[in-house]
Amino acid sequence: MATTNATIALASDITDSSLSVSNTTALNTAGTSTGVNTLTSVTKVLSSTDHVDLITTGSVSTTHAYVYINNPSTDESQYFHIHIGNAVGSGTYDDGTLPTEEIGTLYAGDWMWFPWDVDDDITIKPSTSDDMTVEYMVFS
Amino acid sequence: MATTATLTIASSDIAGDPVSVSKTSTLSKAGSLNDLDQSTGLSRVHLRSATNKVLLAANAEGNNLAAKVYIINKSTDASLYLTVTINAQTIGKLYGGDFMFIPWSQTDTAASIEVAATNWTASTGDIPVEYALFHEDTDFLTNA
Repeated sequence: MATTNATIALASDITDSSLSVSNTTALNTAGTSTGVNTLTSVTKVLSSTDHVDLITTGSVSTTHAYVYINNPSTDESQYFHIHIGNAVGSGTYDDGTLPTEEIGTLYAGDWMWFPWDVDDDITIKPSTSDDMTVEYMVFS
Repeated sequence: MATTATLTIASSDIAGDPVSVSKTSTLSKAGSLNDLDQSTGLSRVHLRSATNKVLLAANAEGNNLAAKVYIINKSTDASLYLTVTINAQTIGKLYGGDFMFIPWSQTDTAASIEVAATNWTASTGDIPVEYALFHEDTDFLTNA
């Protein structure tokens, strides 16, 4: 059993009264106080706009994981559509022809963090065919 | 007018060497360096339903615009969890104390973010949930 902590800090002055949020959680196996003990860390370069698998269910042996995905680009034209489901070849994506649901768009410099139930693959579609780097970590 | 989000991950023993990741993002409008300028602020609800409830209603106008969602399960009971779904697609389970921070595309009006206290019963007590939405689009409306 390992001890891994994740902390989020949000700071915003959009509203008249500024928002400041900070929370820390220990990454545990499902519903327990036992720490996750497996880490996968990957840096991948994608060179086409095909919609492809990023993290497959077969790569994780549990039913509860934590996922971090980062777009390290500084070019605002380089972003990723992040989906959950199963990618099918290189067809079109969010027009209903592929059995995936788009979670969101990860723009340059953005990161995301979420729990994953490992029922369906995490898939990705880059905005350009330039070499685009994506980084991810899975804790399970 | 800016919003920053920082994630820090630290572990001294999940790998042979300590793991330390820290990443800060300044939340920007889609494909630009302009700051996101709208927010729901931080909201809190008490969930007492094992069936899906709409936490944030999708607005198709939000498609291709930037939006970021923060959700945290404030329960102190590690076994009580929220199941988070988008358009009936399960993303994952937030156990007591867990949080998530994701971009949200709202590809259509079916892409609402829903939560369910899947293992809730009358005896488990409510699950406090806090959430915030940061976004663009002046016509954006949600149920928040």
